[in-house]
Amino acid sequence: MSSFVMRDPTAETASDLRSRASPLTSFAGKTIALMDIGKMRGEEFIDRLEQLCHRRGVATRRYKKPTNTRVAPREMIKDITKNCQAVIIALSDCGSCTSCSTHDLNDLDKKGLPGVSVLTEEFRQAFNSQTSAIGLEAASVYVPHPMQNRTTTELHAFAEQSVDAILLAICSVSPPNP
Amino acid sequence: MAAVCLPTNGLVIFAKRGCETCVMVEPVFGQLAQSRMQTVVLSQDDPTFPSLVDALDDTTLEQSFRFDVEALPTVIRLENGKEIARTFGWNRAEWERVTGLQGLGLGLPNMRPGCGSMTREPGVWEELVARYGDSGLASRRVAIGEWDDEIEACFDRGWSDGLPVVPPTDARIMRMLEGTIRKPQDVIGLVPPNLVPITVEKVAINAVLAGCKPEYMPVILAALEAALEPEATMHGVLCSTCFSGPIIVVNGPITREIGMNSGINCLGQGNRANATIGRALQLIIRNVGGGRPGEIDRAVLGGPGKYTFCFAEDETDPTWVPLSVARGIAPGKNAVTLFQGDGIQGFIDQRSRTPEQLTKSLALSLLAVGNWKLCEFTNAMLVLVPEHYAIYRDAGWNRDRITRELHAAMVRPGKNVIQGALGIAEGMDVTRKDETVNKFWPEGLLIVQAGGKAGLFSAICAGWTGGRFRHESQTVTKEIKL
Repeated sequence: MSSFVMRDPTAETASDLRSRASPLTSFAGKTIALMDIGKMRGEEFIDRLEQLCHRRGVATRRYKKPTNTRVAPREMIKDITKNCQAVIIALSDCGSCTSCSTHDLNDLDKKGLPGVSVLTEEFRQAFNSQTSAIGLEAASVYVPHPMQNRTTTELHAFAEQSVDAILLAICSVSPPNP
Repeated sequence: MAAVCLPTNGLVIFAKRGCETCVMVEPVFGQLAQSRMQTVVLSQDDPTFPSLVDALDDTTLEQSFRFDVEALPTVIRLENGKEIARTFGWNRAEWERVTGLQGLGLGLPNMRPGCGSMTREPGVWEELVARYGDSGLASRRVAIGEWDDEIEACFDRGWSDGLPVVPPTDARIMRMLEGTIRKPQDVIGLVPPNLVPITVEKVAINAVLAGCKPEYMPVILAALEAALEPEATMHGVLCSTCFSGPIIVVNGPITREIGMNSGINCLGQGNRANATIGRALQLIIRNVGGGRPGEIDRAVLGGPGKYTFCFAEDETDPTWVPLSVARGIAPGKNAVTLFQGDGIQGFIDQRSRTPEQLTKSLALSLLAVGNWKLCEFTNAMLVLVPEHYAIYRDAGWNRDRITRELHAAMVRPGKNVIQGALGIAEGMDVTRKDETVNKFWPEGLLIVQAGGKAGLFSAICAGWTGGRFRHESQTVTKEIKL
C-alpha cells in the first residue's frame, strides 16, 4: 500500500513512529470511551467488555460509529475528547474498518488520549501497515479470527480473555480483578 | 510499466513525435523495420509515433533512463544483449555504420541535429533516478500509504514548524544536493541541543522541507556552520526562555544571484530566499538537533523570528561599508552573519536633520533594548534604512563614525542604572554606582543597512541575554563557500 516515499529529516535517533500518548496512571476519576466501530457483531463483544470494565470499577462511555467504513464523525471525536481520558476501539475484522479505526485511534492520540485498537488476528499485518503509514506507535490487542460466525457466548469469551490486556494498554496500573 | 521486450541482437531506437528530426526520419524507421535487423522503436511521448512501425510506449521514460538517452533520435545497436554502437540525431553515414545497413533515408539531408531527450528536461532526471535508479541517499526511508496526504504525514511526524512543509522526496533532495559541490555524506558538525552530527544530505532534506531552491544551499550551509560555532551559543539561543533565534544577514553578490530582498519589506514576508533560508536553519535545529518548543525549547513567549529571520544587506550605496567587510570578510565576497536576536523594535524619527540629532534620537531607543537600566547585558542590531543613513552620509559620517557616536551617546552615570535607582529594582550591580556605564559592549552594536528607499523608520533587534557573557556568546560571520 505504501507508494509515496520520503526521507527522514531527523537525526534518526528515535523510532520513525511517533510515540503514542502516555497511558493513564490510574483509572480513578477517568472515563474510558468504548468506541464501537459499527461493524456487525462488535456490539456483543463490547457489551461484555463494558460489563467487565464496570466490574473492575472502570467508568466507560459508549459510542457507536454510523459506519465502520469511514472515520468517526467530528462531533463524536469532539465528545470523546471532552468527556473521556482514554479510548478502546473495537472490533476490527476487515480491511476498511482496520484502516478507518486506526485513523480514529491516531486522531484521538493527537488530542492526547491514549488508545487501544481491538482487532482480529487476521488483521495484525494490516494494522501494522496502517500505523506505519500514519507514523504512530499504536497499541493493539487481538482476538481470534473469524468472529462473524461465532456465538454470542464465544464473543463474550473473547472479551473475557482480552479485557486485562486491553485495560493494560491504556493504563499502566491494572484495576483490581474481581 | 510492463516489461519491454528488447532484442538481444538488433536495434533499439528512441524517438518522440515532438522532435522534428524524428518526424523527418520516420521513413527510415520503416526501412529498418523492414530490414533483417530486429528493430524496436520506443516513443517517449506518443506510442502511435512512428506510424510505420509498432512503437513501444516509453512515456514513463524508464527505458530512456536505463539506456541513458541524451538526444533524439538515438539508435543503439545491441549484440548479445550488450550495447556495441550508438548514434543520435540524424547522420546518414553514422546510422549506416551503427545499423550495418546501406541506403538509409535517401532523399533526406545527410545530416540534421536531433532534440533533447525528455529524460533531460529540467527536474525529470532526478525523478527517474528516484524511480528506477539508485539515489545514493542514506537517510531513513519513510513510506506512507498511497491515499495519505503527504503534507499531513509530515505534520504528523513532527517535521514542521507549524506551517506546511514540502515533502522531502528523493527527487527533490537530489535536486537540492545539486546546489552544492559538497558530498552528501560530508559532516558539517554537531547540531545542538542534542549535539547530533549533521550531513550535507540532512541539510538538503530540511532545505526541501523549508521550501528552498538548490541555489540557496551554499548560504544555508554557511549559516549552519556559523550556528555551529561555539561562540554562536546556538544551544542557549534555542533552549532559552527568552525570545531569541538566529538572525541571518547575508552579504555579497550571491544575494542578488539568488534574489534575496534587501529593500522594501526585507524583514517581512514575500521573498522566497529570505523566508526559506532562515526557515531551513530553524528546521535543522528542530529536526536534527531536537530543539522543539515545549520540550527543550523553553521560550516563555518566543517570537515570530523563530520561524525565520533572514535578509540581505543593501550594498548599493558605495559609501556604506557592508557588515561582512566590517567584520573582516574581503569586499565582494559572500558571507553570512548570524546574530542571536529578537523581533524588531521600530524606531521612528521623521524630524532629525543632522547626524547629531539622529544619533541622540537613536541612542534613546537603543537604550530601551532589554531594559533601559540593563547595560552590557545584550547586544543589538540596528537596521538603518536608506533615508536615515542619508542624514549621516550627507554629513560625511561612515559606519565607524556612526557606531562610535552611538556608543558615546549611550554612556550613563552608574547611579542612574544600578538596581533600585529610579525606584526600579532591575538594573546594574550597585558596585557600579560611581562608574560611567556603556549600554553595549564595544563590538555589541551591529549596524546593517537595508530597507526601502522611502520611510524614516529604522529597526532595532534586541540581542539575546546570553550576550552579557561577552566572550562566550558572540555574533559569528562566515564566508560562503560556493
